[in-house]
Formats: sequence, structure tokens, C-alpha cells
Amino acid sequence: MPNLPPATFQAADEVEALELLHQHQCTDGLPVVIPTPERVDRMVLASGLDADIDLGTMGPGGGATTIVQVATNAVMAGCLPDYMPVVVAAMQAMLQPDFDLAEVQSTTHSIAPLMIVNGPMITACDLTGGFGALGPGHRANASIGRAVRLCMMNIGGARPGTSDMALLGHPGKFSFCMAEDEASSPWEPLSESLGYAPGTSAVTIVGTEAPHNVVFVNNADDPNSPQRLLRALAAVMANTGSNNASFSGGTVAVALNPEHAEVLHQAGMTRRDVQNALHQLATNKRGHLLDIAAGFIKNGDHDDDIPAVKDADNVIVYVGGASGLYSAVFPSWAAGAHNNPVVHHPIETDQACVIPGMENLVVAGDAL
Amino acid sequence: MRDGIEVARQDRAVVALVTEQFWPQGDFVAQSNGMPDVPRLRLPHPVAGSGHDAMDVLAARIAPELVAILRGERTGDNVPIGA
Repeated sequence: MPNLPPATFQAADEVEALELLHQHQCTDGLPVVIPTPERVDRMVLASGLDADIDLGTMGPGGGATTIVQVATNAVMAGCLPDYMPVVVAAMQAMLQPDFDLAEVQSTTHSIAPLMIVNGPMITACDLTGGFGALGPGHRANASIGRAVRLCMMNIGGARPGTSDMALLGHPGKFSFCMAEDEASSPWEPLSESLGYAPGTSAVTIVGTEAPHNVVFVNNADDPNSPQRLLRALAAVMANTGSNNASFSGGTVAVALNPEHAEVLHQAGMTRRDVQNALHQLATNKRGHLLDIAAGFIKNGDHDDDIPAVKDADNVIVYVGGASGLYSAVFPSWAAGAHNNPVVHHPIETDQACVIPGMENLVVAGDAL
Repeated sequence: MRDGIEVARQDRAVVALVTEQFWPQGDFVAQSNGMPDVPRLRLPHPVAGSGHDAMDVLAARIAPELVAILRGERTGDNVPIGA
């Protein structure tokens, strides 16, 4: 790999160590916890895996995603050892070829991996899917998402303007992780809809832009209220000027707040019904798109409906955020060899063990 | 750059066209893929969207250079290892 920092640094103290890490572009620009050998060893131990296990090669730089490398970045991000299985699962998900991680890292688009966690690890790690789940103030959400980003930088080699070519980026490139609010959801957990057994912890990842708010207030006296909610969500999904509208592809995530999810549930809709409805409603007329994005749209009948995504499977619906006026749509990249699909991976929770010196802390395996 | 590397891996002659803005990324991708010698031509930025006339002018300018590289009569704008 080009221009890589040395594998280890020697510093007189943590202040000097932090400056070294900044100088070698090993940070996201913010201070990090210094990954001393002792801290990294504890994190490796918490994974329950051998330090030299290689999860795969991470592009664009081609670094080996070893457990010790992941642990080092998890320490830097401020993770507790309990979080390590979630970070490892996120790596395993993103290293699947379908995710096109090297291209995700290299594109000029502002894509970042949105992580949604399901299962018992939500409680074990104290992840949240409620108020401000993607904002500041939630240690597990913030540090797990940050660990993933630091891995992308320090293992994958993504550096702005050299190998991470996002023209603007978005704040989710610092950290972009939340739980599904399973307790408030009227439906089965997202992970079960993707094939996981009940009680299985899993991480689901979609490469997306930042969340776009969708405002909607229910009217219980209006039988068309659920349809109005669906149309509002679909309108944001099909936002002209977005890659999804222009390229008619990719995967879009939709975070329904519990109140909005209940409106659709009370209308008799399953999660799958919502996915199907949004896929069908999120369209633009070809003529409208040709006016705006002529370079991307084929000529044809101007009255044709051009879908924002190709299939209902490309609409990831989950419950998150607190109840109120706002849900959110996460538009996406709609590019890459595999066209920006959702990926997911189970979180291995039976590998954890008690860490010497930290016997009094809750360890993932014990908490389950 | 990545496309150029894929073609080079098939033992085919190739010249990667890389714009000024993406030249550092070209360096990174070429080095990280272990193929820093794949020849590159440096183009102004942007090319996309610059219009047919501008592209015609650019194509006329670089076509002889591109052919010369393919014939081995000159090197790319990247500095080959050992040069």
C-alpha cells in the first residue's frame, strides 16, 4: 500500500502519540483514544478471535482486515470491548463483494455505510434507536460507527482527495450507526425480514447519503391518511436530482418513527406491504427527469413512470427515531458493479470472554 | 485508473486517461494495486460536460500522444518505477 504509516508508533506520552496519529492521517480529525498494546489486546480478547485472523482485503488501499487492526481502530474510536463483536460483524458485512467497498470508498458521491443493529446486542451494548439515534450523545452508536469509519480509513486507506474522492461528504462519514427500535416497532425486527432467526443479533448496512426528513401528521379521521404518508415518503425517495431518481437504482433506507410505523400498521400493512407500496409510488415521469438530468435518462415516452429503485427489496424499511412529525429517507448512490445493495451479517456473540482486569463490566456473551 | 489496471492485468496495452483532479487518486490506486507503471495521460479537469467542441480539441491533442505511448515511443505522464 502507498504512503502507509508505520504499523506501530513510539511516543513519550499520550499527547505526543495523539499528534503522531494526526500527523500520519490515522484519525478522522478528532482526538482518539491512544491504541496502546494493552488496550488493543483487551479489544482483541473481547472479540474472542485470534488477532491475526484476516477478514478480507479492504479497498481501495488493499489492507488486510485483521482482528488486531479492527481492534486498534475500535480502541481509537472509543469503543468498549463489549462493542467489538458489532464492529467485527460490520466489517464482515462490508467486505462482502456485493458491497463494492473499494468503490464505495473511492466514489465522488457522498455515500457512507449506514449501520442498523438488531437483536440482543442492542441491549448488551446499550445502542439506541430512539431520540437522536444518529446524533451526538450515544456512546455505543457513536463509537461503533466511528470505529467502522476509522477502519475504512486506516485499513482501507481512504483519505479525502487522494483515495476517498467524495466531493463533499456528509457528517455520517464520521459515524453512522443506530439500532432499530424493536420495542416500538409494530413489525418483526428488520433482521428477521432479512432471514435471521428471532433472537439473532445482526448488523444491516446500506451505503447512503445523510437522512432527509419527511414531515407528516396523521389524521385519524381521514381514511387516506396512510396513503398520504406513503406518498410523502415516496416523494422524498424520488427526489429529482438524486442519484436514485437519475439512475433508477440503488437501495434506499426508510426510517419510520414509531408513530408513523403504527399509522401504516393500523392500516393493515406489513413491512413488505410498505416496501412494495414505496417502490411503486417512488417514481418520476421520464419527461420531468429529461428536463433535469438529460445525461442520465434514456429518451422515450415522456409519460413513462421511472422508478427510483428497481425492486421492493431495494427499500429497507425499519423503525427508528422518536415518535413525532418526522421520519427519514436515506437516498443512496445507485452505482457500483452491484448497484448499491443492502448487506448484512450476524453478530457473533458467543466468542466473547471475560477480560482480565475488567471482570466487573458486562461482557457481551454474559449479558445474553 | 482501476479500469486501466484491469485491462493491463489481461496483458493488453493500455493507457489510462486521468484528469488533473484525480491524478493523486490515480497514483494511489496504481500503487495499491501494485501496478504503478501502467501508463497514464494527464487530462485537464473537467472533461465530462465540457461540450463536443472542447472534447474534439482535447481528443485531437492527446490522440498522437496516446498512440505514441502504445507504440512505446514515449512514456506516460506518470513516472515509471526505475525511470
